[in-house]
Amino acid sequence: MFEHEDKNMALNEDLQSQIGERDGIRDKLKRMCRENPLAAVSAVVIAIIILMAIFAPVIAPYGEAEQDLINRLQAPSAEHWLGTDELGRDLFSRMLYGSRLSITIGILPSLISLTIGVVAGLAAGYFGGWVDYVIMRVADVMLSIPSLILAMVVMYTLGTSTVNLFIALSMTGWSSVARVVRSQTLSIKQSEYVEAARSIGVGRWKIMFRHILPNCIPSLIVLFTLNVPSAILSESSLSFLGIGVKVPAASWGLIVNQGRQFLFTQPWLCLAPCVAIMIVVLAFNFLGDGLRDALDPYMQR
Amino acid sequence: MKYFLKRVIGTIPVLLGVVLLIFVMLRIIPGNPVVILLGEHYDQATIDRLTDLMGYDQPILLQFVNYVKGALVGDLGVSYKYSRPVTEMIMEALPYTIRLALMAVVFAWGLGLITGIIAAVKKNNFIDRMFMGVSLLGVSMPIFMTSLLLQYIFAFKLGWLPMTEEGTFASMILPAIALGWNSAGSVARMTRSSLIEVMQADYIDTARAKGLRKGAVIIGHALKNSLLPVVTMMALQLSSMLSGAVITESVFAIPGIGRLATTAINNRDMPVLQGTVLFTTVIVIAGNLLADFLYSVLDPRIRKGD
Amino acid sequence: MKKTTKCILGTMFMAALLAGCGGSSSDAGSGAAETQESAQVTSVAAEDGVVRIANIADYQTLDVHKTSADFTIPINVFDRLFEIVPTDGGSTEIVNSLVDDYTISEDGLTYDFTLKSGVTFSDGTPFTANDVKYTIERALTLPETVQTDIYASIAGAQELMDGTADDLSGVVVTDDTHFSITLSVPYAGFIGQLATPGAAMFSESITEAAGDSFGQDPAVTIGTGPYMVTSWERNASLTLEVNPNYWGEEPDVKKVIISIVPDPSTMSMMFQNGELDMLDGDELDSAVFDATYRTPQYEDKIVSAFRLATTYMALNENVEPLNDVNVRKAIQMAIDRQTILDTVYSGGGFLVDGIYARGLLGYTEDNQGWLQYDPEGAKALLAEAGYPDGFTMEISSDNSASSSVLLVLQIIQQNLAEVGITLDIVPYDEASWLDLRQSGEMPSFVATWTADYNDPDNFIYTFFGSEENVVNRSLNYKDTDVINRVAAARAIIDDEERMAEYAALEEKIVKEDAAWVPLFSRSHFYVLGDRVESFTPHWAGYSAYIYSTFKLAD
Repeated sequence: MFEHEDKNMALNEDLQSQIGERDGIRDKLKRMCRENPLAAVSAVVIAIIILMAIFAPVIAPYGEAEQDLINRLQAPSAEHWLGTDELGRDLFSRMLYGSRLSITIGILPSLISLTIGVVAGLAAGYFGGWVDYVIMRVADVMLSIPSLILAMVVMYTLGTSTVNLFIALSMTGWSSVARVVRSQTLSIKQSEYVEAARSIGVGRWKIMFRHILPNCIPSLIVLFTLNVPSAILSESSLSFLGIGVKVPAASWGLIVNQGRQFLFTQPWLCLAPCVAIMIVVLAFNFLGDGLRDALDPYMQR
Repeated sequence: MKYFLKRVIGTIPVLLGVVLLIFVMLRIIPGNPVVILLGEHYDQATIDRLTDLMGYDQPILLQFVNYVKGALVGDLGVSYKYSRPVTEMIMEALPYTIRLALMAVVFAWGLGLITGIIAAVKKNNFIDRMFMGVSLLGVSMPIFMTSLLLQYIFAFKLGWLPMTEEGTFASMILPAIALGWNSAGSVARMTRSSLIEVMQADYIDTARAKGLRKGAVIIGHALKNSLLPVVTMMALQLSSMLSGAVITESVFAIPGIGRLATTAINNRDMPVLQGTVLFTTVIVIAGNLLADFLYSVLDPRIRKGD
Repeated sequence: MKKTTKCILGTMFMAALLAGCGGSSSDAGSGAAETQESAQVTSVAAEDGVVRIANIADYQTLDVHKTSADFTIPINVFDRLFEIVPTDGGSTEIVNSLVDDYTISEDGLTYDFTLKSGVTFSDGTPFTANDVKYTIERALTLPETVQTDIYASIAGAQELMDGTADDLSGVVVTDDTHFSITLSVPYAGFIGQLATPGAAMFSESITEAAGDSFGQDPAVTIGTGPYMVTSWERNASLTLEVNPNYWGEEPDVKKVIISIVPDPSTMSMMFQNGELDMLDGDELDSAVFDATYRTPQYEDKIVSAFRLATTYMALNENVEPLNDVNVRKAIQMAIDRQTILDTVYSGGGFLVDGIYARGLLGYTEDNQGWLQYDPEGAKALLAEAGYPDGFTMEISSDNSASSSVLLVLQIIQQNLAEVGITLDIVPYDEASWLDLRQSGEMPSFVATWTADYNDPDNFIYTFFGSEENVVNRSLNYKDTDVINRVAAARAIIDDEERMAEYAALEEKIVKEDAAWVPLFSRSHFYVLGDRVESFTPHWAGYSAYIYSTFKLAD
């Protein structure tokens, strides 16, 4: 019994040192910051935006839905940094509050699809056979339907609400994660270390999550970072089509959609949230690229 | 060829899966699409009569089997709202979307490849950074914003091009640019990185050593090899282009497939929505097959590989 | 072999690339040739006698028996027996159209009609009394019909719909120009109903020959009206041209090109660019409309029209605590309607304190002041009802409605918050919204009812005329005595007596029971392009244009 455990541990260490260690990630990140300042700056920008979202009630000079019907459609000024909208709501405050929803919309569905994708990909790659076939065909189905159209159908089926929006956006992202995890699982499964682990009776799930999954982490970080901006963009497209979150809550996509009719008369109402979306999307894209170069050069192909 | 046959047959379960998924999803919606036909004017008797007429009360399995049977012979049902065959409506809309997508692809490839090549050749200098920055801007801009801005500047302010679809080539230019913009960014980035990678390979050095000019080397050798990943990516982008078409078609008033899908959603016109989703999916799958085909033509190893 | 394929493909590939490199603008040659053949009629050139209009969505059908919404085209292509026209005083009158003359019997049950002679359909087929009977029977028996209610009061209509009779006994044709209609009960609004767009007259021979294509294929969708549809490219455009065989005066406008433009901003830019000759202000958010068109350049091109419509808020009496009359009264008092009208609609319109819109027959100003904005009074009433700290209620919003409606809801939300009521705005897609409302379970909503025909019956009966109607409109109004009176009022032959009853019912429902929260009636704005001098807006303010009323500038 003891002997067995020992062996196992030794094997574990061996595995980690050979196929990529978790500690290595930290070093690689440090190197990324040195070599790719853009990615580092992006990380800082993202951190600042997340902090602003968390502390929105403290920072925001006005309430999220506080109306001031006399001061409607004001141009940017000292009192209203980004002007006011058609109900006299302070755009800056609204965007601060909106960032909470938009960031959540970016991150939460990406996390959900990451989780589904990891489980599906591991199972498909590890078990093979019909499990693999069924999971990958379901993934193919999801990948074949254009994502915005799939999201539209989901929103149409479930109705417009924030929760349903999360579901709609989660449904589209997991299949690409599953594909990546599956292919990595397949290649690692063949390795001697996993063969060895299996031969001494380590459980399947343990092998999957303790030995195979850690090797996928670099790719997963990259995939996650690149999934966030696409979720944010999808939400803005859904809002554009009028299938988004509910008022008076605000997401950036919703604010853009409400402001876009003023594009020619009060352009800031539409452009400000739009620029905010672009900054976040750009930051995540830069960061994702940087992470890919640093952690996972293999994925460039 | 055997490989292709296998691939084509492999898509059948996926297609069936798509039909099943859409079918089940669209049947679990609560409520009755009949009310939308009546708007503000409705009464119970009319609602009941029209509901019966639509065959809403058949068992779902029977509805599914009938739908698949119909779809195989090109019958996708009849629109609730417009009382016209869905296939007919899709066939009317399809040429617009195909024209739009083709033009967008040409634009995306043209712009993306040129900027990608230039960026790769001028690797890491100012031009490279600028091009890549601009291409990222393209990737990060919501497509409706690109559409609205292009329309505002080039059609409304400058009056160079028509504001909406008019059946002319010129009227498709702005929508195609709006739709291709995002893809152009990705193509440029992909071209750049794969070209840089290929140019570091030994045979390029050999070619250069043989005295071939740099331009010839890039076009003759490096570009061909670096196209492989770009081709695959374009196939995947077909799917996102069809998503984008939903938006551009709305802004530029193009009566294509995307418009059909949005109006179907607004009208709760299930047969039309079902048909358009199925159709776009078939296009995506066909695009993937085509990419596979091109890939294997460009790189014969792949056929032996699998 | 393999090598050649590869080579050819490679060349094609490069060719495609090179074509791409040329850019989309300079290399237009081949593309233009390719698109030429598919280029359709959507010419936007400003020809003489042509009016160019945009519509936000395509039309469902041109067959009025199958739609209750898309009337713009049928209004111009078909004629009705009667027509409603606006009068100078802001009201309306019913005038004869295909009917030359008619008489009503003493008991109010039998109508004898004489048709105008010499009227033909645009293909030359004569219009006869048989066609009238055919049209009415078709509206009652067509499987997809949505227009049964127009003719439901005719004797024998129910039997025909049930299938127990083959023929509509209430309509008797004497000869080509004479026929009579007998009702099962007297109904004062009957002639008004015959003037609604759904009562368009079809030809038996043409319509039967067309079958399912009627209303879909312009070539077989033939009416007696001033225009005929000459082309219809789905989701893109529809063209109307003057009917050479029209029996009335030849219109000024010879051709109308309607483009389908789903995006309002695009539509507005097209108008400013001179690509459209008229813009319907309803398509734009009113703040955008003001910012763009209340400018020196356009100000005197704006046409303001009266709307025979009431925007109202409905409260579901099955929902706690909306079943309490004091709570409903408090809501009536808490909403600052003038501010809503000023803010959202730039003051274009006036407050309505009852059910009937101004300009409607039976409208009086006696109801002015029934509703007063009084938040303190509202709080007191809420306290009295046992809700000193307010409560939470839901309002359902329709995603497809204009963004102005959403603004109205958000101001109401703020107004109610001030008296302690938390209003949750829950959005639905249009179909779910309609479905929920029809089920009787929608907690509350804001909507607008526009007159179909000029009679108070059209308003009050729709909402309070039967126990089914109060459920279908999610009102769940409980007083069955009032409901029965509303239904009975239809049959009062003496007009003065009838109007007095309608006024009494209005007071009972709005003032005493607070079962209806009237908001306002807003004006309908249009902007005319330089090429159009004037036009007569639809009498009720619908976004339906009668192109024969357009006068072109010289």
